[in-house]
Amino acid sequence: MFDTAMTELTFGRVWGPLIYLYGVGGIFFLAGMIISTRSKSLNIKTRNGKKWFKLLLFGYGWYLFIHTSLTLAALYLK
Amino acid sequence: MSMTIPWIVMVLYFILVMGFGSMFGRYTKSTADFFFGGRRFAWWLIAMSILATGVGSHSFVKYSAKAFQHGFSSTMTYMNDWFFMPFFMFGWLPLIYYSRVSSVPEYFQRRFNYKARFLATVALFFYMIGYISIGFLTIGKALQPMLPDFLNLFGLHITLIGDTGLMNIIIFVAIITGIYITYGGQTAVIFTDLLQGFILIFAGLLVLFLGFSYLGGFANFWHHLPEHFKLPLAHFNQPAGFNFVGIFWQDGIAGSIGFLFMNQGLIMRFLATRSVEDGKKAAAFNVLVILPISAIVVSGAGWIGHAIYQGQGIVPGIPAGIIPPTLDVDEIFTIAARIVATPIVFGFIMAAVTAALMSTVDTLINATAAIFINDIWLPAERVLIRRSNGSRLQKDDRYYLKVARWASMVITTVGVLGVLAFKNFATLYEAHGFFHSTLTPPLIVAIFLGIFWRRFTDHAVIWTFLGGATLMIVGATWPSIFITPFAQGSAMSGGKYIYISALYNIVVCVGVGVIVSLLTKPKTDKELEGLTIWTVDRARWRFKGGKPNDRPGEKVNLKYKIDDTGEFARFAREDMEKMSLDEGDLVYLCDSRAWMGGLKSVHSKAGKPHSEPGVVYITPEMEESALFTKKTRVVAEKEL
Repeated sequence: MFDTAMTELTFGRVWGPLIYLYGVGGIFFLAGMIISTRSKSLNIKTRNGKKWFKLLLFGYGWYLFIHTSLTLAALYLK
Repeated sequence: MSMTIPWIVMVLYFILVMGFGSMFGRYTKSTADFFFGGRRFAWWLIAMSILATGVGSHSFVKYSAKAFQHGFSSTMTYMNDWFFMPFFMFGWLPLIYYSRVSSVPEYFQRRFNYKARFLATVALFFYMIGYISIGFLTIGKALQPMLPDFLNLFGLHITLIGDTGLMNIIIFVAIITGIYITYGGQTAVIFTDLLQGFILIFAGLLVLFLGFSYLGGFANFWHHLPEHFKLPLAHFNQPAGFNFVGIFWQDGIAGSIGFLFMNQGLIMRFLATRSVEDGKKAAAFNVLVILPISAIVVSGAGWIGHAIYQGQGIVPGIPAGIIPPTLDVDEIFTIAARIVATPIVFGFIMAAVTAALMSTVDTLINATAAIFINDIWLPAERVLIRRSNGSRLQKDDRYYLKVARWASMVITTVGVLGVLAFKNFATLYEAHGFFHSTLTPPLIVAIFLGIFWRRFTDHAVIWTFLGGATLMIVGATWPSIFITPFAQGSAMSGGKYIYISALYNIVVCVGVGVIVSLLTKPKTDKELEGLTIWTVDRARWRFKGGKPNDRPGEKVNLKYKIDDTGEFARFAREDMEKMSLDEGDLVYLCDSRAWMGGLKSVHSKAGKPHSEPGVVYITPEMEESALFTKKTRVVAEKEL
């Protein structure tokens, strides 16, 4: 009934998925940022465009922060 | 626990929700209102209403089961959507909003041709109907454990156990759902979801905190969970039924694109915002704030259930066997909530969850009706009008509104019948997975390449659907030959890959689309104006009917007066200067009470200026559409 596979907390088990998520996911994110800015749909020369650009980067960092914090809590919060 | 009190609470809750939804039926005056709520709502209202749809569609039942089995990694699927936000916020959202398309297939006709529209319509229609059926099935499964075996109602002996009982429950729920969706439309759905969004967060967190209390505090809860259970991401490729890499491709990539780009219900919510800027804000707030909270809300009962399971018979106050090892994991939400809550609170929690599922279903019904009207009824009628040589005329909007309401009822019925096709899947998760892996890839690839790749051709989109689907069938038939190279170590279960097949399916669809595109002639830039992200500015021009005015301006608070002679909203010159508004610009007028979220509002063009500062002249039609009253103060802002 429960997940009993690979309960040993190796580096690959703990950090592998996180690196994959933000690496492969990051490629899609980067592609989206490049296409949005190059097409001028996201115009970073305007104040509004800069605001959205920063928010998009913040969002990526925000989720990275959440997943990293939860991982560290799982390992070290007793 | 006796089920009488919970059921009384649930019935009261449903009456409240129905009454609340039906109250907003009076705001539905046209098909635009019925489907898109008149494109008038503020970002925060749409963001909250999306919550109930998003949470409902992924379901407390399904994710609590995964949380119970696999721990905090049940949150994975809620926290992997940000990667596609640049594509959505600056590609798809402005394109559909500014090009005024009413449905995904309509975009296919404009971007490609009517054949592409037809294929997209067929695929999307099956997808939506299937989703409705799965929604009904989930509601039935959630309610069935709470019900007696039989019910005597007005002399009728109604079975509530087994498959027959499940269908009886679903039919009853479908009738309730049908009432306010049919008579309310999108505005009713948005406001019902707004109410339910708040209640859902509260109910989900309530189960979690009651669980902490039951276990003797957060420290005890934490202590009872094994370390690997607390990790936010699952094991990379084990077990076959729940692993990181498979779910990343199935949900993080295919699911995220599907939900953001293909889910007609969600698209209609964004089209109901008062501007693209508000749509972006709603999307960002939803993913940054609401989804992480939702992840906790839908999983909490599973985590609490796991901690209780580990602590039963060991911790004082938790009797042994309170959660049996033989339980059906799909029932853990109901079981955990029943253990930690009083009967009244339990009734409230179950009502909130069931209503959330109903929100998903009613959104989907409304969305499917939109597809039916826009992509089946209207094109067919246009053909008949053309062939009639003038003897058949275009009907007025009231006629289409009536058709939309009938369509909603028929779709609800078909959705109920569709349950028969899914109820034999082992779990809800498998039924859902079946849909995502088989119907999503060709559509998402076609939409995605259509928006972001100018070179993607009309021939290629047809081949993406047909050739991609054929290769997907080939892969599903011989998975060890075709899908294993993509599996990254994932194991098969029952002779098939549950999740990672999404990667193979995406790759073959992209492959077919790219190869055929490179071999066929693309459309010219002129033909693609306003239809890809590269020409989104042209879509803005067309939306306005002229050059967009992007000069920053202020909002102004005004009194309104009626002008029978004009056709546009007219402002004083000095108010127009404050707003940086020119004659011919698009302007948005709404009730000055911000908490109404744009319910009472209207769009217009700016007409010739007048000389009465602090006053806007509007037409009687605008007043009626916006539902302004003589006492209403109006806030006006430039749109474009």
